[in-house]
Amino acid sequence: MNGAATSTPSIRRRLLLFLLPPLTLLMLAGVFINYRTATIFVRAAYDQKLAEIARDFATQLQQADPKPLAAPAGILFSIKTPDGQNAAGNPRLPTVPVGSATLTYGDGTLDGRDLRLVTYRVPTAVITVAENDDSRPNPARFILAGNWLMDFIQLDVTLLIVWIGVHLGLKPLLTVRGQIEARSARELRPLDTASVPSEVRPLVDALNLLFELLSGAARAQSQFVADTAHQLRTPIAGLLGSLQVLMREPVAAPLQSRLASLHEGVSTLSHSANQLLALAQADRSTSLGDGFRKTDLKSAVERVVERNVDRSVECGLDLGAECSPASVEANSRLLDDLLGNLLDNSLKYTPSGGRVTVRSGYDTHHPYLEVEDDGPGIPEKERPRVLERFYRIPGSPAGGCGLGLAIVDEIARQHDARLSIDSGAEGRGTRIRVLFAARIH
Amino acid sequence: MRILVVEDDFLVADAIRRGLCMSGFAVDCASDAEQAAAALAAEHFDLALLDIALPGADGLTFLRRLRSAGANLPVMILTARETLATKVQALDLGADDFLVKPFEQTELAARCRALIRRSNLKSSGQLTLGKLRIDITGRQLYNDGELVDLTGREWLIVECLGLNAGRIVTKERLQQAVASWDQAITPNAVEVHVSRVRAKLGDSVVLRAVRGLGYRLDEPR
Repeated sequence: MNGAATSTPSIRRRLLLFLLPPLTLLMLAGVFINYRTATIFVRAAYDQKLAEIARDFATQLQQADPKPLAAPAGILFSIKTPDGQNAAGNPRLPTVPVGSATLTYGDGTLDGRDLRLVTYRVPTAVITVAENDDSRPNPARFILAGNWLMDFIQLDVTLLIVWIGVHLGLKPLLTVRGQIEARSARELRPLDTASVPSEVRPLVDALNLLFELLSGAARAQSQFVADTAHQLRTPIAGLLGSLQVLMREPVAAPLQSRLASLHEGVSTLSHSANQLLALAQADRSTSLGDGFRKTDLKSAVERVVERNVDRSVECGLDLGAECSPASVEANSRLLDDLLGNLLDNSLKYTPSGGRVTVRSGYDTHHPYLEVEDDGPGIPEKERPRVLERFYRIPGSPAGGCGLGLAIVDEIARQHDARLSIDSGAEGRGTRIRVLFAARIH
Repeated sequence: MRILVVEDDFLVADAIRRGLCMSGFAVDCASDAEQAAAALAAEHFDLALLDIALPGADGLTFLRRLRSAGANLPVMILTARETLATKVQALDLGADDFLVKPFEQTELAARCRALIRRSNLKSSGQLTLGKLRIDITGRQLYNDGELVDLTGREWLIVECLGLNAGRIVTKERLQQAVASWDQAITPNAVEVHVSRVRAKLGDSVVLRAVRGLGYRLDEPR
């Protein structure tokens, strides 16, 4: 886990936090209970053995011809008469106080060592048998040797199962996350709710509602762009057409030049309106997933070059193409806009006699489009800025509105393509390449 | 050649009318579908320019009505709405061309000529391109009224370029068109044939080479 992830709330961490400590405590309690139970059983078993030895002594005492009494190794004993006189064994061995039964168990000490005692009272004697606590096997060790290891393995396995369980339980969440991560920033289709667990469903539903609102907004914007297009373009078409007609009519020279500058102004207005609309259209097109299909880049180049042949002749430029077949998933109208804007810049800024070339093809399996000219070029320090909306290089000729490359950049971004601005051949002019991330296989 | 302009915006309609008149067309204007239908019923037109956003029945509805009534005059849609969907819809309904406002007068005139040229070809089997007359059915070429002597391959090149006048014809396409005559032919040989054709056509038309793509035959503007 990285630093950012640890500082944010995590369901997995919470689950583990709530599950692991209680589980660990429970396991430790189990170990403790096992230890206690084993201690009791072990003690009972050894007590039983002491009692049997005491009974043996009693049996031997009652025999007509008693043999000298001897205890097994490690066992201490004392035999006293009912009135307290020592008969045999260790006289300093304490006696367990009288209980209700003839056989009583107790603990005592002798010479500073802990003893386990059994006192057996028969009518003729009080027999006490004792065993040093140290000589008994330690139940803790016994537990540690067997059960404790088992418990420990069990604990580990349980923790592992909890870990895996949490991981598997959270898997549907990861699926949802994957679905969201896989989409591009502008994709507004609702998420698939079929595989979403009921706990996460409200969240996904809320997201889908948001997507729906956003695509509604995108549709509204699209409608607005279409309406605006009509409202703007119709009067501009009227103005531009009328001016062009007027300029072809025989009029006095001073009027002719004023008409020409008026025409230039209206042309700029027309260009700006078109560019703004193109940008607005590019902005919302992919969010609605409009018209993305396999598109032939070569024919896009042919279309755009064809459209600009007359203009290049008027400008005295040698316009040409070097295209090899290439295709990519794209909106062909947006691609035409992209190429049209790149070509427009080259035709606008390359001086007469220059050469403009449009290219398409594959560069190490990636499709690309490219426009190169031998015009003035874009100074290196201006290159990052020319993509900004409305930015114009200081001192560039009138007639542009600073949106062309912003449109190109926007369309490239939506097609998952990278825009690179370089100098042309021999360091002269401009070469702008749009390299698509898609690969041919 | 007579053109009907169906456009409700006065300024636009007026500019189109004046511009096309200067380019040598006769132009009538209608400001809605009803007027347009009346004009088409009364007179013969070679081409209709149709705006989509019209008061009452819109341009596409009018086009549908026109085509279902069997009218086959060429129709060019003029619109400020340049969405792909609108364009596809218009072409599906039987529009022959689609031009987005605002447009250049020269562009409009060139497209009008191309549409009328294609429609005349259908009815007469002949193509007129500036001073050039290409008799497709009779396989003859007339330059300023005089028969031009062409070899078989040169004729195929003229035919291919003429049928696609105003558009770029790729070198590969010319190669294919010529190769069908007999055996295969190299791109260099195509260039040689094209330059011979160019010499024979003179300046009656503009035969332009587009670097890396091909050739475009057009009438002088």
